[in-house]
Amino acid sequence: MPRVLALALTVAIVWLVVAVGPPLTAAMRPGALALGFALIAAALAGALIERIHLPRVSGYLLFGLVCGPYLGNIITRPMARDLQIINALAVALIAFIAGLEINVTRLLPRVRDIARLGGATIGILYVVLLAFFWTAWPWLGIAPGLHGTQRFAVALLLTTIVASFSPTVTIAQIAECRARGPLTELTLAIVVFADLLLILAFTLVMELVRGAFGGAPDVGLVAGVSWEILGSFAFGALAGALFALYLHFIGREVPVVLLALCALISGVGARLHVEPLLAALAAGLVVENVAPPRGDVLKAAVERGALPVLVVFFAAAGASLQLDALAAIGTLALIVSGLRLGLIRAGVWLGTRAARLRDGPADLVWMGFVSQAGVTLGLTLIVAVEYPQWGAPIQTLMVALIALHQLIGPVLFKSALARTGEIGAMDRVETTISSA
Amino acid sequence: MTGTGTRLAATFRTRAALGLRPVTAPIMVFVPIGILLGPSASGILPPGALAHLDVVISIALATLGVFIGIAAGTRTTVPRRLFAAATVEATVTILVVTFALLVLLRAWRVPLLMPVGLVAVALGICASSSAAIAASAADGAVRRIASQVADLDDVLPILAGGVVLSLAAGSTAAATSAAATVLVGLAIGGCGWLLFERSEGAERGVFVFGALTLLGGAAAYLAQSPLLTGMAAGWVWAVSPGGTDRVVTGELRKVQHPLVVLLLVTAGAGLTWSPAGLWLFAPYVLFRFGGKIVGGWTASRIAPGVAPSDLGSYLIPPGVIGIAFALNLQQVAPEAMDPIVFAVAAGAIACEILGLLVVPPAVVP
Repeated sequence: MPRVLALALTVAIVWLVVAVGPPLTAAMRPGALALGFALIAAALAGALIERIHLPRVSGYLLFGLVCGPYLGNIITRPMARDLQIINALAVALIAFIAGLEINVTRLLPRVRDIARLGGATIGILYVVLLAFFWTAWPWLGIAPGLHGTQRFAVALLLTTIVASFSPTVTIAQIAECRARGPLTELTLAIVVFADLLLILAFTLVMELVRGAFGGAPDVGLVAGVSWEILGSFAFGALAGALFALYLHFIGREVPVVLLALCALISGVGARLHVEPLLAALAAGLVVENVAPPRGDVLKAAVERGALPVLVVFFAAAGASLQLDALAAIGTLALIVSGLRLGLIRAGVWLGTRAARLRDGPADLVWMGFVSQAGVTLGLTLIVAVEYPQWGAPIQTLMVALIALHQLIGPVLFKSALARTGEIGAMDRVETTISSA
Repeated sequence: MTGTGTRLAATFRTRAALGLRPVTAPIMVFVPIGILLGPSASGILPPGALAHLDVVISIALATLGVFIGIAAGTRTTVPRRLFAAATVEATVTILVVTFALLVLLRAWRVPLLMPVGLVAVALGICASSSAAIAASAADGAVRRIASQVADLDDVLPILAGGVVLSLAAGSTAAATSAAATVLVGLAIGGCGWLLFERSEGAERGVFVFGALTLLGGAAAYLAQSPLLTGMAAGWVWAVSPGGTDRVVTGELRKVQHPLVVLLLVTAGAGLTWSPAGLWLFAPYVLFRFGGKIVGGWTASRIAPGVAPSDLGSYLIPPGVIGIAFALNLQQVAPEAMDPIVFAVAAGAIACEILGLLVVPPAVVP
């Protein structure tokens, strides 16, 4: 009851402040108000929704959605925009945590199985979605006039974007649920593998599209992508090694230094054109697999630093869910989303049989592939900017799909983690180790 | 070289003997670092980065306000005469600095973008704060009283500062706006009281940091003082049933130092040299010194036996509240308040040095 009262009081305070405050100008910075509101109210919404066995992240998302500019408008558009500032830091922190959870020694013997399962899922998604988009093209409302190579190239581009997963949301949910176990490891490995494939595939398909539309091929693009992938890992590994040294020799103010490391990776990384997600993942991998820290200092820092960042990240994502796009293109979005869901399920079913993983929790792994978020949106934006004529309708469709998958994905994945009993296992394992 | 080292060691001993926390004054270290990093020197911190740090400044101001509110709420158990002595000392300092500057600025006709009266009052309020003095039961009564006065003498300036800030932001009903700011602070305080003791671990940290951010953010959105919202909330946490103030103090210790460092570095980085700032600097230091001595002496006359006659000399080192208030003014009226931030930040460094020269006889190391 006190929590419900506190939530109501917080909403009332912010609503009043926004209502009686001066009209926002470009010079005003409502970021602190939005941040404070999201931290308290979204955290409370997450805790309350957990009581009905839904994931906390759904509570954060719903808070953002209900209070955001498309519904309650307590978080106005400028406030929602300011909340996005934390995104880069959040992505780096989330990926760093994922890196800490990947134990190479444990994973190596299963690489072939993981490749088979991931390959089958992505392969089926690609083949069937491409066939669907090609066949249904005149009715999609994207660019009905396209024919031949152009139609094929754009359909392939749309397939690449629709087939993408969200490593950020999946990893964030693992961190938030403190999950550990075979399902967690398998899902994590495949979404990261799929993210690498996606970046590569998108680059190649964009070249095909440019060729089909008579544009000059970007000769530096392949080199750029190679740098983006290899450079990200190298930069992240260096940052991780420095952090490991800090933990070993100094080990003080670790939460602040951890956040500074993530800010460095996202800030400097952007200037060096490296992918923050991959760099932070590599940093976490190095810390976990090369120089694992002694004691609970990093665990405590991760717990302390991760929760506020996750709360704000998902609240910001909820506030930016464009319900108007969903309303405008709802039927098509529902059809494509249903097809994608079915194909992921079918791909995993085939993949588990090909990899002979039927006995484990692999059958549930599809539930961790449903979410879509930032990476997908980023790719869509690139297309919309370069080809506004047909890129804009693709953007509307993708925004609607992301809204749907952001809401469904976490619920499905938490249900899978709960069924395998992996929720909270991170704490149980650490308790066992420390008491041994 | 040896002479310099000896003088430096003597300086540290003097600060330690005065009970100032920490022994090296943060203002002396981080404001110059900020100047070096800022756009007017190396440019490592460009104007865009400083604009992003605006959010952090609001949170830091609210945090300082919470500390003062908790101190004011907790200290309700100490004699009212001590609170009266601290209030008198702050009032006299504000009045001395304000009137002296008013006369001087009118005579000099320094070009300012704000009314002279508002600038003089703002500087008076910035001048009234004092650095925290460490004191335990083992210390002498004089230092313990000075410590409590240094904590309590910020209450009145923050209340007055809330009204001045409203005026600087162009509010026509400044007192009403300041009262509304207090109400917002009290409401967020109530919200925190409902949450902090009923949560633990990382979740508690989220709620406490969220409340601080909300205190700073709500005030910034309304162009009011985060110090005032923070003080109101801190007071609620200190006087409400349970141990909310202890929970908050424990959580704040984890973020207090990084926030103060960021505040001082930002103040240094944002310093803009201007003739008006240079004109304000020397009178500010001089009148603040005079105000503190007269204020301490007056407090000892009004509350004899509570305030020692040399109280003023303990209170010369300025602490961070003055700079915090100046930065808050700069947030609501950026260009107009640049000279004030310059005078207060540079003046704080000068006052720190002055504080080491004017040491009460009882604590000469």
